[in-house]
Amino acid sequence: MTQRLTILGLESSCDDTAAAVVRREMDGSATVMSSIVFGQTDLHSAYGGVVPEIAARAHAEKLDHCVRDALDAAEVTLADLDAVAVTAGPGLIGGVISGVMCAKGIAAATGLPLVGVNHLAGHALTPRLTDGVTYPYLMLLVSGGHCQYLIVRGPEDFSRLGGTIDDAPGEAFDKTARLLGLPQPGGPSVQAEAENGDPRRYRFPRPLLDRPDCNLSFSGLKTALMRMRDQIVAEKGGLTRQDRADLCAGFQAAVADVLSEKTRRALRIYMAENPACPTVAVAGGVAANTAIRAALETVCAEAGAEFTAPPLALCTDNAAMIAYAGIERFEIGARDGMDLSARPRWPLDQSSPAMLGSGKKGAKA
Amino acid sequence: MPSDALVLGFDTSAAHCAAALLRGDVILAECCEEMGRGQAERLMPLLEEVLSEGNAVWSDLDAIGVGIGPGNFTGIRIAVSAARGLALGLGIPAVGVDGFESREKTGTLAAVPAPREQVYTTPPGGAPRLMPQAEAEVIARDNGLTLVAEATPAGLAAAIARAAAGRYQSDTTPPAPLYLRAADAAPAKDAPPSLIDG
Repeated sequence: MTQRLTILGLESSCDDTAAAVVRREMDGSATVMSSIVFGQTDLHSAYGGVVPEIAARAHAEKLDHCVRDALDAAEVTLADLDAVAVTAGPGLIGGVISGVMCAKGIAAATGLPLVGVNHLAGHALTPRLTDGVTYPYLMLLVSGGHCQYLIVRGPEDFSRLGGTIDDAPGEAFDKTARLLGLPQPGGPSVQAEAENGDPRRYRFPRPLLDRPDCNLSFSGLKTALMRMRDQIVAEKGGLTRQDRADLCAGFQAAVADVLSEKTRRALRIYMAENPACPTVAVAGGVAANTAIRAALETVCAEAGAEFTAPPLALCTDNAAMIAYAGIERFEIGARDGMDLSARPRWPLDQSSPAMLGSGKKGAKA
Repeated sequence: MPSDALVLGFDTSAAHCAAALLRGDVILAECCEEMGRGQAERLMPLLEEVLSEGNAVWSDLDAIGVGIGPGNFTGIRIAVSAARGLALGLGIPAVGVDGFESREKTGTLAAVPAPREQVYTTPPGGAPRLMPQAEAEVIARDNGLTLVAEATPAGLAAAIARAAAGRYQSDTTPPAPLYLRAADAAPAKDAPPSLIDG
């Protein structure tokens, strides 16, 4: 660390339009000077999921306002910045393109260097921003769009141990909410229902536990939930409040069990490297689920590893993580040109075999 | 309007990247490249080339003009997002110019080509909309006008720069894409079961 760095970050890869200013001092300590997030939940609520074109339209007309707000909130001007960092993928491409183009416009206009950031790297490096965690640490990224285990060794050095072979858990929470008539986003509403439910009444599958690897699957869990719901409806003509709560509790327990067991396996691989300060960090919206969090904390305690989860606002999509990842990339000399591409697919670990979308377009994440 | 205002106009609403640099009434430099894809990568370097050819730098600009469509959704967003970023970074206005205005000529009804033998056009006294080209031709004829759907991208960029030069001091609305078509999305169908003790 040679100089104080102040970087603007932009994020628009899913359904949150975000801008933030993060500063890192010469002693390495980083401060989130501002983090503005304009959500789009209302725009998508009627469709039961994020509609890419609707998301892209909103990003294109919001990003510059979001940047102005972030600069104002941080009480800085563009002249105080050292660089502009932007999510360049992976994600919904329409939104990513808008973010990249807006960032290029700002960078060209001001002469500031441009740094493209992998959205997943933003999540994966957040524990360093919030807790100063040292490399290498084990990262569980668990959100509405992603689920993977990574050993994080440096700002551009990630080894993926495993991940979902189909859906992300957050998506399964949303689908569960939709199937049971609970509000979106599904994570908080399913958790709230589960608190009044009996997790043992309905037994859900624990997919892929019979395999020794760190891979996960959640699409079968969604189907199992729908079948159980339909069976109850066929028997009674509807659901009772207790049925609904018990379904939520059973579903959540299955997700927590699978994540705990796979985390245990990922930890074994990670601990075999004898890390100096064994740490497991979790990020992504699903990390906000208290039952899952408690289960993961138990697994970490058993293995003698520290457990850390950034505060919720920095766990879900935000631009502070992009600015921070930009700082780490900037510091190792990374600069992008005005021809920076927006990438719908961009795996963090370029060497491990693709898990999702391994067709001719390449791995998704 | 200062007659020597320097305005950069650009457009990526179809399969091209086009830009023109206008000083007063004179086009100092222009560039147009046809491309099916890659506008997001090409646009900014192309703009810098046009500036450089006109012996100008970003900070010399008084305003930005940008084509807002209708056209390819992603293409429109590429140009509009860049224009908004540039306007923010330079502290100058960006003016959105739609594809009808940039094709406007006396005695013609401007139309923007759309897929499947359709065009976007604005019937006199009506709102712009998508319609079959044949229908647009009838509307034009009935109004004693000629339907003009063709335009060179370079011509569009120059027209956008001129339109922006004409009103950047009064038009403070940030440029926004003109889609004229709703996003393809159907509301969720799977209605959840009712609560029997709800």
